[in-house]
Order: sequence, then C-alpha cells, then structure tokens
Amino acid sequence: MIGPRIAKGCFNIAYLRSLPCFGNRLSCLPAENSSTKHTPNHPAKRTLKHAIAKLVFALTALMTLGCGETLPPAYKLNSVEFLRQEKLFLGSGEHFDDAYKQEIGSILTALFGTPNEPLVPALLGEDDPVLEVMRPENINMAAGPVSLDYHGKGGGLYRQHCSHCHGITGDGNGPTAAALNPYPRDFRLAKFKYKSTPLRSVPRDHDLTKVLVNGVPGTSMPSFGTLPDGEIAALVDYVKFLTIRGQYERYLMAELSNLDDGEPLIDLKLAQKYHQLAAIEQPTEQQEEELEEVEEQHLDSMWGVVGERLMEDAIERWVDADDNETEIPEAPDAFDSGHDGHRDFVATGRELFYTRGNCAQCHGDTGVGNGQIESFDDWANDWIKTPGVNPFNPKTYKTFTEAGALPPRPIKPRNLTEGRYRGGGQPEEIFLRITNGIEGTPMPATPALTSDEVWALVAYVKFLPYGDVNELPDRQINEKAIAR
Amino acid sequence: MKFYLPAIQQMLVIAICGLFVCCCATAVDAQDGWGTLKGQVVISGDAPEMPLEKVDDHPDKSICLVDGELPKDDNIVVDENGGLRDVFVMMYVKGKGADAPIHESYSKDDEEKELSIDNVKCRFVPHALFVQTGKSVLLKNSDTVGHNCQVTTFNNECNVNLPAGDSVPVKFEKSDKIPGIVNCKMHEWMDGVVLIRDNPYVAITDGEGKFEIKNVPAGEWEFQFWHKKSGYMKKLESGTYKFGRKGQAEVKISNEGETDMGQLEFPTKAFK
Repeated sequence: MIGPRIAKGCFNIAYLRSLPCFGNRLSCLPAENSSTKHTPNHPAKRTLKHAIAKLVFALTALMTLGCGETLPPAYKLNSVEFLRQEKLFLGSGEHFDDAYKQEIGSILTALFGTPNEPLVPALLGEDDPVLEVMRPENINMAAGPVSLDYHGKGGGLYRQHCSHCHGITGDGNGPTAAALNPYPRDFRLAKFKYKSTPLRSVPRDHDLTKVLVNGVPGTSMPSFGTLPDGEIAALVDYVKFLTIRGQYERYLMAELSNLDDGEPLIDLKLAQKYHQLAAIEQPTEQQEEELEEVEEQHLDSMWGVVGERLMEDAIERWVDADDNETEIPEAPDAFDSGHDGHRDFVATGRELFYTRGNCAQCHGDTGVGNGQIESFDDWANDWIKTPGVNPFNPKTYKTFTEAGALPPRPIKPRNLTEGRYRGGGQPEEIFLRITNGIEGTPMPATPALTSDEVWALVAYVKFLPYGDVNELPDRQINEKAIAR
Repeated sequence: MKFYLPAIQQMLVIAICGLFVCCCATAVDAQDGWGTLKGQVVISGDAPEMPLEKVDDHPDKSICLVDGELPKDDNIVVDENGGLRDVFVMMYVKGKGADAPIHESYSKDDEEKELSIDNVKCRFVPHALFVQTGKSVLLKNSDTVGHNCQVTTFNNECNVNLPAGDSVPVKFEKSDKIPGIVNCKMHEWMDGVVLIRDNPYVAITDGEGKFEIKNVPAGEWEFQFWHKKSGYMKKLESGTYKFGRKGQAEVKISNEGETDMGQLEFPTKAFK
C-alpha cells in the first residue's frame, strides 16, 4: 500500500469560505501577473507564489478538519478513473492508498468548492485566464440548490434542468442515466461531439449554446430554448466549469503512478517548512540559503500540480476557443438544388460515399447505419481498453460497473435515411461533421478530401432521406463497392 | 492535416523549445561522452497462444487475410527463441532523467527519418511506434480498402479517414508517460501501440526481442520497460539489474562503446 501520510478529515466549505483567500474569490489574490487579457499570460512559477501560498493554507485547513457536520451535496470522486489507473499501473490485487482519494478530494475542493458553494479557480486574481472562460456570477447562478429570489431570478439552474441526467458532478451518471440510450454526456473527458472546432479543440460557447437551445434530436437531450439567454449562458459556463474540474481530476489521478511510496501529490510538509522559514524576521545567512532551497523545491512541486496540470492543461485550452473555429468554404454552385449540375454533383457525392469517403463501411451500403456496428464511443473506450476487459463479457468489467461505470453499449453509426441529425441538419453543420469528424466517436476527420468533395458528400447525405438514388446519373463505382 | 495550436500554446512551445536549446547547448558541453544501450527481452515459461483476430465475416475479409489465412492477434509476439517483440524501453523521465542532455542526432528537423504507420492487409505496420513530440508521422494506407487511423493516448489524439492508397501527415505536440493505442474503427481487430514523448531515449524491441538506444549520455540513468499486455514490466528478471515498481532499472551507460544489459527474462504469467 502506498499513499501520502495525511490526516483524514471531512470537507467543510463554510470554514474554507471564511479563509481570507477563498471567502471572496476575486479580490483575495494579488494580481501579480501584469499582462492584459488576450495576450499570452502564462504565469511564471514565481508569479504563482502568493497564489500557491493561499492554496496551501486552504488545503492544510481542509486536511486537518474533523468530521461531525452533516455533509451538503458533494462532487463525486471519479472512482472509475482511479480504478483504471490502478489496473494500468499496479499489479493485480494492488491498490493505491485510499489517502490519495482524500487528497485529490481536498485539492479539488480547495480549488473548485462544492456543488452548493462553487469556486472559480482564479488563483491569479482578476487577471486569471479562467475568468475569460467563465464568469463567477454565472457559476453561482447555475450551481447551488434550486431557488427563486424576490425578483423572480432563478438559481440552481443546473440542478433544476441538468443534474438528473448529467449528475451533480457532470459525470453523465445522474439518477436517470442508466435508463437512457444514448447515455447522457460525461463532461469529465472534456470531449464534445457537436462543435465547430476540430478534434481535441474545445467547443466554442456558440456550439454549447446551440446544443442547449436546440437539444440533440434523436436523443433524450431536449431543447432548453425557452430559458432566457442569461440562464443559457450561465449553464454553458457551468458545463465548462464541470468539464475543467473533471479533466483536472483525471490529470491528478494520472499523476499517482508517478509518485514514490508515500509521496503526496502536494507536499504540505514542504510547504509548511517554507512558510516557517519565510516567517523568520531576521534570518541568518544559513537560514536564508535554506529558504531559497526550500522555496525552489516547494514551487517545483506545486508548479506541476497547479501550474501545469490545472492552468496550462485544463484551463488554457478554453481561452480563445473561438480562434479554433473551422472555416467553412462556400459551397460550389452545383450544391444548389436548382442548379443544372446538381444531380451530377449528388452523384459525385454518392461515388465518394462508397469510395474515398469510406462512408459505407460504417453507415452501410444503403446508408441506414448497418455497417461496422461493434465499435464503442470514447466514454466507453476510456476504460474498456484496460487490459483484461472485454466489453462483450460483463464478468470481465464487474469492478468497473461497481465503481460507477455504466455498462458499455456499442455506438450505432447514424441512419442517414431518416433525415434527423443530432448535430443539426443545416448543410454547414453536416459539412463540419464530415470535415472534422465527430469527437469521441469512430467518425474520423477527412483531411484527404477537398472541401468540394466534402460538399458533394453533404449534397448526397441531404439527398438520401428524400431522393431516389436510382434516378442519379450512373457513375463508375469501384467493383468492391458494388460487391458490398 | 494540421493541428492548430492556440496562440498561447504556440508561445509556450516556442518558450519551451528555446529553453530546451539552451539546456542542450550547456549540457552538451558538460556531457562526458555518449554510449549505446542494448539488450534483449525474452520470455520465461510457455509463449501464450494468441487467438485469431476477430475478422468473422467482415466484408473486407478477403483483403485482410495474411498469406491466405486469418491473422493471429499480434499484441504478444514471441520468436522461436523466446524473444519478445514490442517492448518499449524508455528513459525514466522522473527526477534526473527529466534533464538528460539530448544528443544532436535526435534533432526533430531530420526529415530523412520520416516516421509512418502504414495499413497493410488490415494490420498496422509497424505494430508499435515511438514518435517524438513535434515530429511528423505519415499515416498511410497501402490497402485497397479504406481505413481510419485513430490514435488515442492520454494527452494526444487524432482520428483521420484514410482512403485506399492515400496518406495524411499528422503531428503530436504533448508528451505522454506511457504508450497509447492506434485503432481502425472499420476493422475493430486492428490495434497498434504508439508512444509520443519528448525525451528521445526510447527503443522498441525487434522480432528477436532485441533493443538498442544510441547516443545515450554517459552516466547513470533509469530505464523503464513497458509492454501493452503487462504494463510496467516490474517482473523482469536479470542477474545484474533490479526492476522497480514502475518497471525501471538503473543502468550505468559507459562512454566507451556499448552497455549491454544482456538477456532480461519476463515470466509469461505476468501478462495481464
């Protein structure tokens, strides 16, 4: 058994709030980073010094608190990822020390608060890039218990509209989740399907807003179009909040296998030693030297966990998300159904469907979605690829379902003859799906096709539900496609 | 295919590269020679019998046969002498290894050593690959059927459609700790393995289980051993070296000629 030796305790957010740093989430921290918005403002290690000091203070408080009070709603630990890390890196029957769960919980609470009292992790104060990603007032409006104030302004929007499916943690595992097909989205993987940015780029606010307003046709996700714009914006920010929190949690868990026996993620003893040394008013030369050394070590250890993993990896990618928008070139004239060359253009799309587009392999020869049907999406792949797990044999993944994973289901390629499109049926939306692929699914991007070819595929996809393919001009389709 | 980086990340990459160059420059001056690390991984116990790939009655079956027969699962490949293929031998980058000087032969601009993952008869060739971050990898398809090539590691990802006979270059920017997987979603049995990492001191064992890493800075370093079906190979046995929990062993690289770790035995019952 390995793990950090830390005191066990319970979270007490009221106490945390009373701390000078976290009580007021914005004004508490020195804004040392002088760079302005929209310029690269990676905090140098030393810029973080004060922020880290406050964080350590809060952490120390959290970890030494006693139990006793009734606990308010809490974010759930990602037990599936914890188990996966154990299976990947430890021998069979070995486990990470439970103290790590406690430590990860404490770090997350110190940074992100609780469902009733969330914190925006703006460690750098008013200039923190996270404030470009989400507005604290939006987070407050979306989180917390359902409420209505004197002016009729709603609070607790997420719990009112989202949590029964997506779960209070955004783990896609609310009370109704197991009964839905497809399962509700788990935000913690930081993957989103219907967006105007390429794979591995986060969605723009515009994309998330569209999903909330339009819903996702063909799934249990309804339209929330009747909500006022301000409430939609609050929910979009809270989805980003839960995503960043969930991804950061996964990063923390990925660090566990890097640690030596008994080594904690954040070395509070080192931090305390540093603060003791720093507090000496008239240090001797030796003490000064020691302080310098300890400071370096302390900043190094905090930099990895807070600077790199939280600020650079989990938050930074959301800043300027709009810059990653995929450009949609104008469709050729023949895309217009009134154009003389339109039928020929659709026939080109059909040819590509069977040949270089590789569409028929999954969507089936007639486009009804009966091609390759044994694939899984990334939310399942995330853990079913663990050695020893066979997604078709429940016995092999019992430990995962016990840890909270929903039983894996193969993902179905879309039936293109229905005329119902989850990411929207506008030609531009279908263009984006084909060009960028659909993140988290087997649907690949198509860098080998020109934009005109993609437009031809869009024309064919739009033609499929309503047109008669036999009326299209004959084309030479390769033998294999005909044989299939 | 181009992976766009947000401006901030680009700045960071530039900053890191700059830092890197500085480090190298100073470190190389101070570096006391370079050596080669070699060795061989063999199994002890019976070689596991690998099942046939689950091709079933896939429409592309005729193209996916190897020598007219259904291929065997190639995740554990052992030759007649017990040599274990596709073991990743990686410098341990925690602690000292993080600052290891990088030899000039590992320059990322070297376009002659172009890396590729080909699709041949519905198999990834090579099955296992190491890619340094920032280096271009050509995803190829030599088959007459379409494939897609989906690379999924903890920190990197891509998923591109590969028409028959076509190719697409990709780059990966973030360093991983352990290898990830390469999949084709049109042929579910296809599964390769790829390591994307900044530190270039990595080798993958060949068909005889042999590995060689050239131009390793002389001195003491830890090297990790990892295989897809066992994870970190902490059960490796050797008369000379002791392997830790993370499959790592300390090796002293001599600046004169080769440092041979000899035969390292891996008990087959340790496969997961």
